[in-house]
Amino acid sequence: MSTVPYVCARCLRQSINRSVRFSRRQLRLQSTSAPVHAISPTLLSRARAVADEYASISQRLASDYDAKAAKRLGELQSTSAAVKEYDKAHSALTELESLLHSPDKELRDLAEDDVQPTRDRIEQASAALRSSLIPVHPFAHLPCLLEIRPGAGGDEAALFAGDLLHMYEAYCTRHGLRTARLKFETADGMVSSTGAGGTHLQEAILSVEDAGAYGNLRCEAGVHRVQRVPATESKGRTHTSAASVLVLPSLTSENDGETGEDSFNNPKSDYYVDPKDVTTEVMRASGAGGQHVNRTESAVRLTHIPTKTVVAIQETRSQIQNREKAWQLLRSRIAQQRRNEREEEIARLRRGAGAGRVGREHKVRTYNWGQQRVSDHRSGLDLRNLDDVIAGGESLDRVMESVRAWMAEQEVIGLVAEEESKQSKV
Amino acid sequence: MPRISPALVRHAKQTDIRLAKLLPICRSLDSARNELRWLKQHASSIQSDNAPADVLVNRLIARRAKGEPLQYILGSEYFGDLRLECRPGVLIPRPETAASISHLVDLLFQSHTFRSLPRKLQVLDLCTGSGCLPLLFHHEYFKHNLRADTDIRLIGIDISKRALKLARDNLSTQLIAQKAPSSLRSLQKTRFLRADVLHDANIPHQFGIPSVLDALRTLEGTPTPPCFDILISNPPYISSRAFLNTTARSVKLYEPKLALVPQHPAPTCPVNDGDTFYPRILDVARKLDAKVVLVEVGDMEQAVRVASLAIEQGLWDAVEIWRDEPGRQAPAEESVKIGDVCVFVRGVGYGRSVFAYRGSATEWFASEKRVVSV
Repeated sequence: MSTVPYVCARCLRQSINRSVRFSRRQLRLQSTSAPVHAISPTLLSRARAVADEYASISQRLASDYDAKAAKRLGELQSTSAAVKEYDKAHSALTELESLLHSPDKELRDLAEDDVQPTRDRIEQASAALRSSLIPVHPFAHLPCLLEIRPGAGGDEAALFAGDLLHMYEAYCTRHGLRTARLKFETADGMVSSTGAGGTHLQEAILSVEDAGAYGNLRCEAGVHRVQRVPATESKGRTHTSAASVLVLPSLTSENDGETGEDSFNNPKSDYYVDPKDVTTEVMRASGAGGQHVNRTESAVRLTHIPTKTVVAIQETRSQIQNREKAWQLLRSRIAQQRRNEREEEIARLRRGAGAGRVGREHKVRTYNWGQQRVSDHRSGLDLRNLDDVIAGGESLDRVMESVRAWMAEQEVIGLVAEEESKQSKV
Repeated sequence: MPRISPALVRHAKQTDIRLAKLLPICRSLDSARNELRWLKQHASSIQSDNAPADVLVNRLIARRAKGEPLQYILGSEYFGDLRLECRPGVLIPRPETAASISHLVDLLFQSHTFRSLPRKLQVLDLCTGSGCLPLLFHHEYFKHNLRADTDIRLIGIDISKRALKLARDNLSTQLIAQKAPSSLRSLQKTRFLRADVLHDANIPHQFGIPSVLDALRTLEGTPTPPCFDILISNPPYISSRAFLNTTARSVKLYEPKLALVPQHPAPTCPVNDGDTFYPRILDVARKLDAKVVLVEVGDMEQAVRVASLAIEQGLWDAVEIWRDEPGRQAPAEESVKIGDVCVFVRGVGYGRSVFAYRGSATEWFASEKRVVSV
């Protein structure tokens, strides 16, 4: 209790408020998940099951060779090795702990010195175990399509979307990834009227053509938020706007011959779109047509009737080229939808464990010009060199790296939830 | 033509004054935006030190706003897969024509029937203009057929010297783009000749331009003209009345009337002077022993008139009318009765071309139930 006999009510209220405000500021709502330190028992049991399978397969392979089994063995090897390493480290630790209770003081001191390195070893081993269990994303090896659209915030959002496009182009150039602008629509005339010097983007689709681009850029999907004094603002007020980034795995016709999930001629593939389900609309002249008129519209609009997906392309003057691009885009969108549907079931399980879906719903990153700060709300990483990030420099690599690590962690949480629900069902 | 709403004009002016300038000729904001983008791209590709891109863009926009076709300003047009050069004085290729030609080649290669095609296919194009029809036919043919021993021979005929010059230029551009030796060999044999389809033997040689048969005889150096398997044509077919009433202003002012309206009204066809070329083309087809004829027409009424001309000839085993998109399945099977002959109408859109075949060509199209009940 306070020793002061009397405190005026106003001072009391203020002091309470201050402390409340202070504690509120400490709360981070959408960031920094605590890293998983100890390995969960369910994950461990799964890893052990994998190691057992590895042992049995390698025994079988010793007697007779089978290509399929050998391939499976290769997949399991890293997990099995990680489990071995983990067990070794773990038994070393228990041994040390028994020594800690020994009557001999010298022995106890020696053991104490060794405890910390052994704990580190366990930490490393469990990290390796976790990463070896994370399934590689089935589309990770594919090239990707990056779609950027302005969100809330009008002109400023469009300018920011333009900045983002330049950022990703610079990033890809620096990493030697080939890019092509599949669609690039700007609001004509806006640039000159505002004098902003930026690109006033309405919609852009960037195709990154290198293999593995989807696995690399997958972490960029989501709503990117910007806080700055826009070029269009005359009174110097800070605005908050947003732009959305969509990352879709893409399939070019070069992959045509491949078998499996990628081929879009294979009806089982996610990319298979039955031409009968798609209506094609081309702009046509009203009235006589033929020699009577000379039209320049080359827009092609495809509608996939079952999913009501609409794709419209009017980029080039050639209708044939527009049609090809539209088909490519339609296939990618439908494949993504199908995959989302399939993931729904698993995602529901994972949400129970507090792992948000790594989808497109929430804002994922903030670019704050006033503080020269870039914060990723998923990994909780704060960087102060905004300029380098927006120029697609090495800081962007750091941000993306942190997000990828966070995604891997979420995968682990999801895996644990899945295993637990499976076991509870049994 | 529906008027452009004032709100749209205001909106265009607010976004970009250049859009507002293009709006009356483009009729929609989307289309104006696209054309502005293409004009800008063109301007930046041709800019020089004393003519910077923004100045050039404004000049190009002024030309376009007056009604000059975009294809003449940019100097090119896409025809099917091909990018062809365009010049004033020669008709700009239309996408509907490309659709008909692609469909014709698709039919030739449908299922197994292409085995019955002759090793060496002879194709004649009358009123070739920019040479778009033979060049696209060649492209589509070799897209389907990559056998080394296939061979086609293409001949294009036009009366206009400017058209022939452009057709030859387009041919040499395509020659450079060829990769397969067989397709290159066929394209190298392609010829464009000057002749008058409406040539009348009773009138002494006007301006020294020979008839189609004479020109082909001279080319071959034989007393009889060569035989052709396929005859294709996109002749002038607009009647002088429709030219005044229906044809778009930009076409009327900037494209050559020679390629749009038949210039010699012939006494054989007094009802509609837009049909002048068709009896001559069908006559040439008969004399050259053509097995397939595909001619473009202006609308459904003209298609029916041309189809009845072909039926009157009594040569053809089947006559069909194709619409703008002949490859697309129409919701219901459609046919027109001409006299006591039932003519199938294929595809969707406006009546666009008349297609007829006979003799050995019936085998080429045998896979479909196309036999006409006479």
